[in-house]
Amino acid sequence: MPPKFSTGKEKLLGDEDEVLQAVVLADSFNKRFRPLTTRKPRCLLPICNAPLLDWTFESLALAGVQEIFVICRSHSEQVKNAIAYGFFLLFSAEKTYTFASESRWSKPGSGIKIVPIMTAKETFSPGDAMRDIYTRGLVTGDFVLVMGDLVSNVKIDEVVKAHKERRKTNKDAIMTMVVKESGSKHRTRPTGNSSIFVIDPETSECLYYDAVIGYPPKTVANVPREILAEHPEVEIRNDLLDCSIDVCSVEVPSLFQDNFDYLDIRRDFVHGVLTSDLLMKNIYCYVAKEGYAARVQDTKSYQSISKDIISRWTFPLVPDNNHPGGEVYEHRQGNKYIARDGSVVLARTSRIGNNCLIGPSTQVSDDAQIISSVIGRNCVIGAGTLIDNSYVFDGTTIGPGCIVQQSIIGSGVNIRENTRISKGSLVADEVVVGPNAVLEPFQKLSKKRADGDDEDIDSEEEDLEFDEELIKAKLGTDSNAIIWPRDPPDEDEDEEGIENYKNQRFMRLGDDVADLAYSDEGSLSSDEDTDLSDSDSDSDMYPGTLPTSSTTSLTLESSVVAASDAVAVSEFQAEVTQSLERAFAEGHSVDNAAVELKTLRMASNVPLLRVREAVIAAIVEKIEIVEGGGIPQRQEIAKVINRWGPLIDKIGGVDAVETVTLLQSHCAKSKRLPLFPQILVALYQADIVEEVDMRKWHANPASKGEGVAPGPMKDGLRKCWDVGAAILEQLNQQESDSEEESG
Amino acid sequence: MASDPQMIASQRVVEDLASRLRRRQVVGSRQSALETLLVLRQVVSRARFSNVEQLVELIRSVGRRLVDAQPKEHSVGNTVRKVLHHIREEYRTATEGTAPTPAVTFSIAKFVSQGQPRRHMAAPRSDATSVPLKENDPDDPDSFARTLKPVLMEAIQDVFDELETVYDNISKNAKDHIHSDEIILTLGKSRTVESFLKAAAHHRNYTVIVAETAPSYGGREMAKSLSSAGISTFLVPDSSIYALMSRVNKVILGAHAILANGGMFAISGSLLTATAARAYSTPVVVCAGQFKLTPLWNLYHEYGALDFGDPSAVLGFEEGDLVDKVDVVNPHYDYVQPELLATFITNYGDHPPSSIYRLLKETYDDEDNEL
Repeated sequence: MPPKFSTGKEKLLGDEDEVLQAVVLADSFNKRFRPLTTRKPRCLLPICNAPLLDWTFESLALAGVQEIFVICRSHSEQVKNAIAYGFFLLFSAEKTYTFASESRWSKPGSGIKIVPIMTAKETFSPGDAMRDIYTRGLVTGDFVLVMGDLVSNVKIDEVVKAHKERRKTNKDAIMTMVVKESGSKHRTRPTGNSSIFVIDPETSECLYYDAVIGYPPKTVANVPREILAEHPEVEIRNDLLDCSIDVCSVEVPSLFQDNFDYLDIRRDFVHGVLTSDLLMKNIYCYVAKEGYAARVQDTKSYQSISKDIISRWTFPLVPDNNHPGGEVYEHRQGNKYIARDGSVVLARTSRIGNNCLIGPSTQVSDDAQIISSVIGRNCVIGAGTLIDNSYVFDGTTIGPGCIVQQSIIGSGVNIRENTRISKGSLVADEVVVGPNAVLEPFQKLSKKRADGDDEDIDSEEEDLEFDEELIKAKLGTDSNAIIWPRDPPDEDEDEEGIENYKNQRFMRLGDDVADLAYSDEGSLSSDEDTDLSDSDSDSDMYPGTLPTSSTTSLTLESSVVAASDAVAVSEFQAEVTQSLERAFAEGHSVDNAAVELKTLRMASNVPLLRVREAVIAAIVEKIEIVEGGGIPQRQEIAKVINRWGPLIDKIGGVDAVETVTLLQSHCAKSKRLPLFPQILVALYQADIVEEVDMRKWHANPASKGEGVAPGPMKDGLRKCWDVGAAILEQLNQQESDSEEESG
Repeated sequence: MASDPQMIASQRVVEDLASRLRRRQVVGSRQSALETLLVLRQVVSRARFSNVEQLVELIRSVGRRLVDAQPKEHSVGNTVRKVLHHIREEYRTATEGTAPTPAVTFSIAKFVSQGQPRRHMAAPRSDATSVPLKENDPDDPDSFARTLKPVLMEAIQDVFDELETVYDNISKNAKDHIHSDEIILTLGKSRTVESFLKAAAHHRNYTVIVAETAPSYGGREMAKSLSSAGISTFLVPDSSIYALMSRVNKVILGAHAILANGGMFAISGSLLTATAARAYSTPVVVCAGQFKLTPLWNLYHEYGALDFGDPSAVLGFEEGDLVDKVDVVNPHYDYVQPELLATFITNYGDHPPSSIYRLLKETYDDEDNEL
């Protein structure tokens, strides 16, 4: 019995062997929540009455993370104070912050060390933040990279374990992404920003990644042919919810440092690493079977994640248990949560619908109705007011007779009587609206800046023009608000890619986007080109040695780009030849030559096949023809192949079948045709080509010269094929001989 | 208080357990009770106090902290109450110099049960310690703690031993409850029920029907474990519980918490089973350790007390379209009224639901009901 006693202690100590670190990017690097985020960072916006960052910390704590670095950029002081002194103080309506108590995270018993890192204002993207992590040398081992708006109960420690296990056998497995299966129409799945994952189901390696945005509709996805050729089975999935939980190895920040053009972690980094032949790194996916994880990346996901929390998908991270804000809620039938401290006043005739959360000290007056909404602390809801699917932050007063639908109302807002706030509206902190005002749908309001109040002013905010009279007419006589422009920007000013106006509509609260055709609904076989397909045109322009896989439903573009690139290809070949000649003459090492070729290839953006072709041609031409053949000739060949043969496999990717095919086609048109058998044997002996590969080549009808116009070329190919047959025969014989001997 | 380094250390132990309870990293009644005891032991061993009130207040504050962290894990609070009860008893013994004679106080536990473990058998210990206890000694404020601490540690150790042996003590009388050729129905996976059935299998030859108990499907594990112990076992879907009830001789259930009114919280499906059993007048027997005795009775008014889990076990997250339209509830527990239950088998003997209140009064001190 006594040994049992010590187990608890041992568990505590055992954890200290390896501290699991996490990096939280607490900045969103976009403006989807404005104007709510003009005076407050997004990660401190409350969701279900606790700041987003708190949910993130709790999610990480659930996963056993012990050290967290928080990278903050905008309003970094606020984030720092929030971590040190507790969040709730920042949300009290009065502006005097009294830092009397410590936050639960800075208590000694929390078991987690949180270090806020202030990064420069010039950090404009997650990529910049990663470079900052690298320069500061923060991480020492495998770490978890999450965004500051994550809500999750996924057991990240299991992912880390799987990642470490993988690293033991494959040093190039640098990252594991956590994804979650969701239906195609899931409320939490971001329609405006989803992704295509190509996954090898056996190893769960992510082979290819492409981002999908809602508008313009993406109808075509390009999957490089090599992937289909190399993997017998692939899953091309569009139904995975990207949780933005990445388990990264320590070299990930340094990769960002080396590739200064990586901005986004998914669109640039993952896509870049997977399509690059230079890096030769692998990224894996972890399809979480259990657990929940999602990011509050826009107002729409804000709503869906609020609903997920209230309907307890995030258990044990739910309001009545382990609420990150430290408040205690009573769970009532129909997933209603009412603050337990008894400070909530619900009038007898008020009606609280299902899936509601009502914070402490809030008063709900007679005949008020609240449906599927979240009400913060110290709010007052007037008589006869209807609040439907809305999110009201702390200290807000909503007068009698108001209607609030599908909107987010900031803290300290005062909505006067008989005001109607239509769907999709965002009302920033301390705004006064009304009385008798009617807000149009998707209106954004923020408080007029008082002179001298110049802390953290958004540059764009200053540009807003407002006409006092107009606002008084629209927003009521007491209003202090300014209206943010709502209409789409001019066509030519519109940003490309994910932040374009129409795509933003997919991320907007309350917008059902009925009038736009978008990615998920459009048919896959549309011939319309997309503006995202600029990548990877190289991967499929060249007819490969394998027939095009017909199992994929995604159309592969081909031959369109081929013609335009023909010039570039011939230039490239000349350069490769030159570079190889130099290498031969100056006796470079194989590795150096390979690096040079890779660089060349990247510079002129040609497929791997071309490089291989050029290398083989150069090597074959390097072999001098010895008069009379025989042994001296064979020695010459062996010398060249042993010295330079390995280069064929070093230029990126090993494909011996292709090597043989290329050798054959080169010999067929070269005067070194008679040397083909000896070169092949030399390659075989140098282990560059295996017997299996030769058989595969031999079995391919194209190697026999089929489909080639009759002429010297065809004859040459045919001759090579015959010779190959003879060699295979010989090999067969040897094998059976040895078998007989051994038998 | 926080200035004392030892206090900070014990504070950390408390916070650590509190956050693990809150995050549901410690689950299960017995596990939680054990962890709570470990924490209390550390707190008491490090505590500095000069009278018993200080000590009791300290333990109560730790208990409050832990209970607030996870109010649905009742065994935490029960363990704290139990320890407080023992501490007061020891203190009384030490100050009065006489051991309370258990035989004098009327005990319904003794009255009802025959095979009750004798827990007051220890000889009056403090008679030996001739050193008089000095409370609030201004010259040596630690003297009280120094004298009392060994006894206190022993008291905690007693609670600990009781927890360690709880399964054995419950299953001791298993053969009196299960007779040969009986058909027993059980639900879910409860360690207590498991050891009870296995103990009975040494003496009797009987059949167990285990319901799968969706959505946790603990019944599958239970059936595997029982059949590997050589008991003839059937695994049936939950839907057939009622249909099979007519052939069942006895229903044996585990409990999550036993309430003062004789009702209990048990794994969801228990209410269904107990109601079906009532229809056929089949006795429902509950096996549970003493640490599940909870001095609360009105919990069933509270909807949230059923401890609702996440809906993913019922409706998959990948059913995207439905998630938005359907509200799914997945309660862990059912409240079973006392009218539906026949007997509680505890390590303090067997009790009808109507005498649970009395057992509670004996186990805990009244002033600790509210921590």
